[in-house]
Amino acid sequence: MKQALELKFPLSARRLMPCLGFAVIVGLWLITQARPPETAFAAGRGVAGRVVDSQGEPISDAELKLYINEGREPAAESHSQPDGAYLLALQEGEKVSSVRVEVERPHFAPYSWRPTEGELRILVEDGSFVTHDIVLARTIVASFWIITAIFLGMLAVIATERLHNTLAALLAMVLIFGVSLLGGSINPDLYVFTFKQALEHVDFEVIFLLLGMMIVIGVIEETGIFQWLAYQAYRLSRGKVWLLAIILMSITAIASALLDNVTTMLLITPIILEIALAAGISPLSLVLPALLAANVGGLATLIGTPVNIMIGSFVGLGFNDFVLNLTPGVIAALIGLMIFIQLRYWKEYRKAGAGLSPALMKQLEENGQIRDKIKLLKSGIVFGVVLALFVFGEQFHLSPAISAIAGAVAMLLWVNPDIQEMMGVVDWTTLVFFIGLFIVVGAVQEVGLLAITADWIGHIVGENLLAAILAIVWMAMLLSGVVDNIPFAAAMLPVVKFLTRTIPGAENNSLYYGLAIGADLGGNSSLIGSSANLVVAGITERAGYKMTFRKFLQIGLPAAAITTAIGTLWLIIHFV
Amino acid sequence: MGKILCATRGGEASIQTQDAAIARAKEIGVELIFVYIYDVEFLARAKYTLRSDVVSEELDRMAEFLMTMAIERAKQQGVQASYTIRHGDFDAELASAVNEEEVSLVILGHPGKEESRFELEHLQEFASKLQEETSIQVCILPE
Repeated sequence: MKQALELKFPLSARRLMPCLGFAVIVGLWLITQARPPETAFAAGRGVAGRVVDSQGEPISDAELKLYINEGREPAAESHSQPDGAYLLALQEGEKVSSVRVEVERPHFAPYSWRPTEGELRILVEDGSFVTHDIVLARTIVASFWIITAIFLGMLAVIATERLHNTLAALLAMVLIFGVSLLGGSINPDLYVFTFKQALEHVDFEVIFLLLGMMIVIGVIEETGIFQWLAYQAYRLSRGKVWLLAIILMSITAIASALLDNVTTMLLITPIILEIALAAGISPLSLVLPALLAANVGGLATLIGTPVNIMIGSFVGLGFNDFVLNLTPGVIAALIGLMIFIQLRYWKEYRKAGAGLSPALMKQLEENGQIRDKIKLLKSGIVFGVVLALFVFGEQFHLSPAISAIAGAVAMLLWVNPDIQEMMGVVDWTTLVFFIGLFIVVGAVQEVGLLAITADWIGHIVGENLLAAILAIVWMAMLLSGVVDNIPFAAAMLPVVKFLTRTIPGAENNSLYYGLAIGADLGGNSSLIGSSANLVVAGITERAGYKMTFRKFLQIGLPAAAITTAIGTLWLIIHFV
Repeated sequence: MGKILCATRGGEASIQTQDAAIARAKEIGVELIFVYIYDVEFLARAKYTLRSDVVSEELDRMAEFLMTMAIERAKQQGVQASYTIRHGDFDAELASAVNEEEVSLVILGHPGKEESRFELEHLQEFASKLQEETSIQVCILPE
């Protein structure tokens, strides 16, 4: 089988695959950028306005037709823009005695509107005016139920690990296109969107930021910095295991905030395990705290977790916004976690033994060495510049995605110019997962499921910001331990957007930060809550220390509850 | 009499197995070889595609550390020991190690309730098969 594959794809072709992947992503992004020019608002004679839904969200691609003098053929036609704006331009000089505007859009009830006498007079006199927003009412048609079933099916398949999450998202995407394009040609109620409209739901800011950071991390992970830090923690603690636990937790939290928790834990777990054995304690009593801290630390910055990246791009929040509004809460949550860990493992830490033999000490020292000093220096400089761009780039309209891509290119030019090798470190399956996911969530949004969910939550919490924060944080925390937090957060973004607009005081984006807190910290509530948990469980099992679901739950669930409670408290103090 | 091969991972549950193998090697005065076998299948459970080369490198280092600990235990008992680290399927790699080394006895630990990767039935079936194929005694330690 492998041989057949190699015959089909010779080495050069296989090396080209990642480059082709990159080209496809850039191509898709360009397609979505190719919009028709915005209509000029100040036209000679016509009607302008906006089309919105009952929640005030702009509706794009609504078809508007203007009929004059009760005619059967429209005198003007237009489609609403992504911001809901439209312009129906009439020819000057044409005699007008009556005007009727008809609006149609799949998933919404048809709408007909006539101007007031005053507005009609303006048109008669060859003038133009901006009218009130046209509010379209949603209709629940067959596609709503089918798309909802596909979305829930995708979440279930991912949660039960029947399929890889990327394959699940791609399957759901293909089913949606089948329903929309094939089914829609038979029954209009099945139509959801066209391929091009679907691509408009893909957030390429997220894709490029992930892509850039993957290359940056791909270089840094080869330097041995994580292992060196862990070994230095061991040396610094001088046999005090409680102190070692605190230093290790700080290291994994900071590394996860600036890089990512999976890579951090993947590289640091084996050496922590060795250190624990050296100290004569159970490895899980050091590995688990470091893992829990890594999951908490990721919450601190825009680039710490994919959920934060999605939220940042959706709302337009920058690196500094996360640092100012979340990092203090994360530090407080980490302190709470450290206290919990010290109390939980106090007896274990007191069991620490006499130390290692010279041979084992030498081995540990070797394992904790920097592997490539030059590469570390260069990649450290590049990463420092990228961080500076994250912090200061906002003043120059430099988006985080551009900063990350610039960092990746600098790594390629200066640190490791082997483009094929570096493209190989990019996790293309994750990028494809995000593309598929955005399209699936876009379909769910189109058919109105998210609007109904937003109405439902809005009805429960009313106009109470505190109730909304509690609902969002804890719902996200509990669900993230059971379902993949990435699709959950992607689906919740439009819901939180509605709540942010309707709840007084929520314009400070507190609900978005609440979503980040719940979705990120919920990863600690169960073994399947985060990829880092599963990777660490795999490594410890290979050393003979199995981290079972029950063992993890005993520590992870209270840790998640404590850190989420502290995070919620921070949100309330900071925002309410 | 050939060497004794002991499959081990290094965790607490393995110490009993290591001690039994060390005691047996001391009793009959032969060299002991610890074999550590691992795979990186767990990476498939992560939602991300992770670099198996980087993970393997780290697991190799961890295995060396764990095996050095095992050798030190043997040395303390006056038993000469060495180790071999292998990647891949446990059954296939153990059979391959048995064939490559001059082994007269293979010692396997008894699967624990939680810590073990294997079911007892699977291990017994594998031990019988290996014994049939190689004519080398395979011993699963009692609980």
